[in-house]
This record gives sequence, C-alpha cells and structure tokens, in this order.
Amino acid sequence: MIIIGEKINASLPGIKEIIESRDTPALLELATSQAAAGAGFIDVNVGTGVGSSQDEIFSMEWAVQVIQGRVDTPLCIDSADPVVLEAGLKARNGKPSLINSTKAEEKNLKQVVSLASDYQSHIVGLAMDETGIPATVEERVRACEKIVSACDKHGVPLENVYFDPLVLPVSTDIKQGLVTLNTLGVIKEKFPAAKTAMGLSNVSYGLPGRSMLNTAFLHMAVYAGLDAAIMDPLDKRLVSAITVAEALTGKDRYCRRYTKSLRGKH
Amino acid sequence: MNQDELTSKIAFNVIQGRLEAEDEGYHEGLEGQPGVTELVQQALEEGLNPKTIVLEGLTAAMDVVGEKFERGEYLIPDMLASAECVGAAMDILTPYLLEAGVESKGKFVIATVAGDLHDIGKNIVSIMLKGGGYEVIDLGADVSTEQIVEAIEEHQAPFLGLSALLTTTMRAMGDVVDKLKERGLRDRVKVLIGGAPTSIEFANQIEADAHCRDAFDAMDVLKAMTA
Repeated sequence: MIIIGEKINASLPGIKEIIESRDTPALLELATSQAAAGAGFIDVNVGTGVGSSQDEIFSMEWAVQVIQGRVDTPLCIDSADPVVLEAGLKARNGKPSLINSTKAEEKNLKQVVSLASDYQSHIVGLAMDETGIPATVEERVRACEKIVSACDKHGVPLENVYFDPLVLPVSTDIKQGLVTLNTLGVIKEKFPAAKTAMGLSNVSYGLPGRSMLNTAFLHMAVYAGLDAAIMDPLDKRLVSAITVAEALTGKDRYCRRYTKSLRGKH
Repeated sequence: MNQDELTSKIAFNVIQGRLEAEDEGYHEGLEGQPGVTELVQQALEEGLNPKTIVLEGLTAAMDVVGEKFERGEYLIPDMLASAECVGAAMDILTPYLLEAGVESKGKFVIATVAGDLHDIGKNIVSIMLKGGGYEVIDLGADVSTEQIVEAIEEHQAPFLGLSALLTTTMRAMGDVVDKLKERGLRDRVKVLIGGAPTSIEFANQIEADAHCRDAFDAMDVLKAMTA
C-alpha cells in the first residue's frame, strides 16, 4: 500500500496558520515526520480559502521548495485550481509528483490532464463529473472512463493514473460504503494498469467510534483493490490495519511486514 | 568480490529469505540488493565451485536458520522464505553439480502417506534434503503404500521419509514398514518419519528407524545415521 500523507492540508486545524505565517520549521516537521513514517507521497494543499489565486500560487511555491529542500519523498500537488497545480509542478523541477486531482469535467480534464502530460507527472482522477459525486457505481465508472479517454488523448499512460472512487458518509446514505468498494473492484477489473487511491475517514463522518469504522473500511478496501490510501501515516492503528489486510490478501510475501510489525511485541 | 565474500553474501540472503532483488528480507532495508538467485548466477559466472556454493552458501545458512527457528526467533514463514531460496538455488546449481561429477549422498524417497493431503512440512524437508546433497524423489501427498514401496524398489533408495499430519493417517506409516518387510526391502532402507502427531514412541512402535521433529532435526538425524 502506498500511503499519501494527508497532514499538510490548509483545511486541517493549525495548518492554515503555518502557511500564512510561512512557518518553515513547522512545515518541515510535518513533512519529515510523514516521510519517516513511510509515506510514499506527501500531499501539499495550501488552499486557505482566503486571498487570491496568486496567494495560493505563492504559498504552493514556498511549501514545495521548503519541503523538497529537506525531503526526497515525492509530493502530491493538491489544488482545485489548475494554475496552482502548475506552479507546484514547476517548483518541483522535474522531481516526481502526483497531481491531486482532475475530475471528469471537460475543461478540468483538458487543463489538468495536459499538465500531467507536460510535467510527466502522475495524476489522481476523481470518479465524479460536473454534476458532482454520482450515487451509483455505474456513474462513477463512467466518469473514470471519461478520464481514461482524456489520458489517451494527452498521452498519459494509465500506469500513471490513480482513480479515486470517492467516499461518502454511511451516516447519510447507508449504501455508500458498498458503492465505494464496488467501484474500486470495477475500476481494477476494467483498467488493470491503473492504480486506485482514496481517503478513508469520510466514510465514518457523523458517527461515533470513527476509528473502528475507518479501520474496518480500510481492511475491506485492501481486499477490493486499493493501491494508495490518503491518510495520516503516523496513525498507528490505520497503518497496522494495512499490514493485517495485506497479510490476509496475499500482498505480503511470507508475512514479512506483518511479522516485522509485531516483532518483540508478543 | 572474492569467493568468500560471495558465498557469505549468498548465505546472508538465504538467512534473510531473499530470493530476488525486489524481495524484503527478515531485516529492514535490503530491497534492491541482489537476492539469492542473482548471487548464485553471479557466483557461477565468476567460476566458483558449485559444491562450495552449496556447502558455504546454502547448507551453512540453513543451519543458522534452523537454530533461529528452534529458538523461536524465526517463525514458519521466515523458515519457508529461506527454504524457498535454497530450493531455487539448488534448481540453478543441480546441472553444474552433475557436470562437476559431485556425487549425491544417496537417493531419498519422500512422501506424505495415503489419505493425507498435508505437504508443507514434507516440502520443507524435501528442499532441505536437496540442499544437503541428497537426490530427492518426492512422490507428493496422499501416496499409496504400494506406490511408496514400488519407488523404493525401483530407485534402490537407501532412505525413505514419511510424513503425516493426522492421527488417522499416521497409521499408514506402519503399513509402509510392514509392506517393506513383506517385500524383503526393509533391511536396505532407513525409514524416517515425521509430522505433528508422530513421536519417538510411535516410530518405535511401527519399527521405523527414526523420528524427526522438524526439517532441521531430520538433517541432524541423517548426519548421525550416515556418520
């Protein structure tokens, strides 16, 4: 499982302040701790929701330069604004990046998928279109198909694409856990070369005992074919949920990672 | 890299259970370094004696793995990973050993007895025996008494290993010994038995030659038997 470290996100408490005050040590601490915990990518989202697009561009350039000065882990350049994405990719200077994200909406596809092509970057494709997040598996897969044809057109190989099946809370629609899991399965079947990525915690929104739900959902997602989890790599419970699920689904040769994780503890 | 460095590197990777460069080992951070198959190929290309590779690279390493397993430091999958490395290395080395005229320590017929499909333990013993220089004739699992006895006769094998994991099927081991006597083959073959429900007492009861606790014990038993 590839872990996409989610902690540098302006919508999380305390992060907006770090970005606005250009708090380099605090930003570096967030990056180095996630890298040390085994993150395969570090997500960088500096959209504070205030100020102009230009402000977000400056923030992105600052964050990327600060982090890559210290940490080799590939970065996940995260913004809803293609101009900000490009600023982040440019600042990467050819180092490996993952664009987060495009959706199956014509203008968005054109701008963002061509960035993936221009900067030889990997890209997250959200299983949604201009009308929002579809409620059914079929519609989400249709959105992915649109992304696939845009990638074909721009010469982005499917190996570089991470489809996000999207996760909605089961507290508001009890079918949503299953819709996400089944979408994962269909994506893996239809586009075996592509990877899958998603955040988990939304599934438990509005319910008590969230960590229990998130852990079980992660187990199921590994079985369904999840390749990358957008999560806190320092969350030991979630990390061990990955280890357990991979041992049980044939993704851990000779139970190496599982037994290592428990060595000296039993 | 000189000869000693290369064989000790092979041994190290057998202990780590790393077949290929991409494999994780028992310890952290070894991914990307050559594994046992790559190193054995390299050793052959550099003209190392295949027998030296077996003795210093494989056999010595499995002794260490055996100790670690006995101590409880290594778990079953750790041992299986190492055994797989030895098996793969022997597959590469066997033609070279034959070409070099290295004589085997003798034919060893091995089988899981009739009615029993459990073969994990038997397979480990089989790999260890190959690594130990025996010519192994592995008949598989759920092998009839008749087939086992015929194999002994056909191959003139001086060693027979019988495995069973069930209290109901272990009795078939006694049938094999009786059948060997009936055919007048009993004196020509040493019968070693193993498997979870078996014991020294049971071995004595059916008049087998030895009971082996596990694959490593089997190697020790053989060493003592052939000394």
